[in-house]
Amino acid sequence: MARVIDLHLHSEVSDDSRAPVEAYLKWLARKRDERPLDGIVLTEHRQFDTHSDYRALEDKYGMLILKAAEVETEYGHVLVYGVNDAMLQRFDFSNVRLRAQELIDEVARLGGVAMPCHPGRPTIGLIEHYENRPPLRGVVGVEALNGGSKKGENERVAELINSYGYHAFGGSDAHLVSFVGICATEFEKDITNTEELVEALRAGGYRPVDFRVRRAPAQPAANGA
Amino acid sequence: MALEFDRSILGQVFDETDFPPVDKEDILKFADALGETNPLYTDEAAAANGPHGGLVAPPTYVTRLRPKKMTPEHMPRFGKVGFDGGRDVEIFAPVRPGDALKMVSTIHDIYEKTGRSGSMYFIVLRNEITNQDGEQVAVVDHRIMQR
Repeated sequence: MARVIDLHLHSEVSDDSRAPVEAYLKWLARKRDERPLDGIVLTEHRQFDTHSDYRALEDKYGMLILKAAEVETEYGHVLVYGVNDAMLQRFDFSNVRLRAQELIDEVARLGGVAMPCHPGRPTIGLIEHYENRPPLRGVVGVEALNGGSKKGENERVAELINSYGYHAFGGSDAHLVSFVGICATEFEKDITNTEELVEALRAGGYRPVDFRVRRAPAQPAANGA
Repeated sequence: MALEFDRSILGQVFDETDFPPVDKEDILKFADALGETNPLYTDEAAAANGPHGGLVAPPTYVTRLRPKKMTPEHMPRFGKVGFDGGRDVEIFAPVRPGDALKMVSTIHDIYEKTGRSGSMYFIVLRNEITNQDGEQVAVVDHRIMQR
């Protein structure tokens, strides 16, 4: 069962990460006090990892490990949860020009949920595209807290959420081991599998949580040194 | 629509390079340049009692090997400029003094992705390295980014 889950991270299966999943789990075990996660969702770039079986690691580390995908559309990047064979037949996830509205509609019809990530980023975030394209129908939530975003990018999301009534979730977007779990999502109900995750993401009842350590700025020495 | 290119170029060998036998002094110089302190790579006598039974090269030694042709003659172009996108190195066997290494180079993959600054195209050149016994020593995937 999991209540606090990192909904967005990449393993060595993605082209731009060299992080083994077990290394993420070891790091989370060491950082348990700082990042009290119960689960992770691997969202590999432009693909759904049908090969890896993480059940043994789930048992070994007592963590929920689910799989999803991060795909690319003309409205920016989108996380797809609840990926199944029908979706993989319907869409070529390696295509960086997927149609966002079609993706959202069809993923919902086929039993999943597609949710835009890092919406505050230029070029690959939803906000910039909403400035000159009509808003997407059927969006239930956006990644309001992304651990890989630059200063100011997460801050742009509040207005988007207020304007459109989207649910907000969080994820680390980790590509490096030490970044896993710096941002996550806390659910009101326990999640035990992908189906429950999809149901919860559609229904609401979750919030982004930020586990980044905020260090106080250094104080000048009394003698001014 | 996925990125369009002639997929028959994937896996085609565009270079085969045979290197002269690996020189012990070259291994020691490479280790020294890295600041390596592990005696497996720096001390012949100590390495003799190590897991490899003798001096071996630091794992990244294989990245200094350069094929005769770095890129294929008809390298695909997807943008105006290209630059080094980094290397992935997978090591299978140690490199020892006297090894006669051979490198076979192919275009392994071509893909497109989008980032903050727009579209990027990646060409992955795979360099497979074997030794005189035909043993696989390493695979070096060299990414070239174009935009």
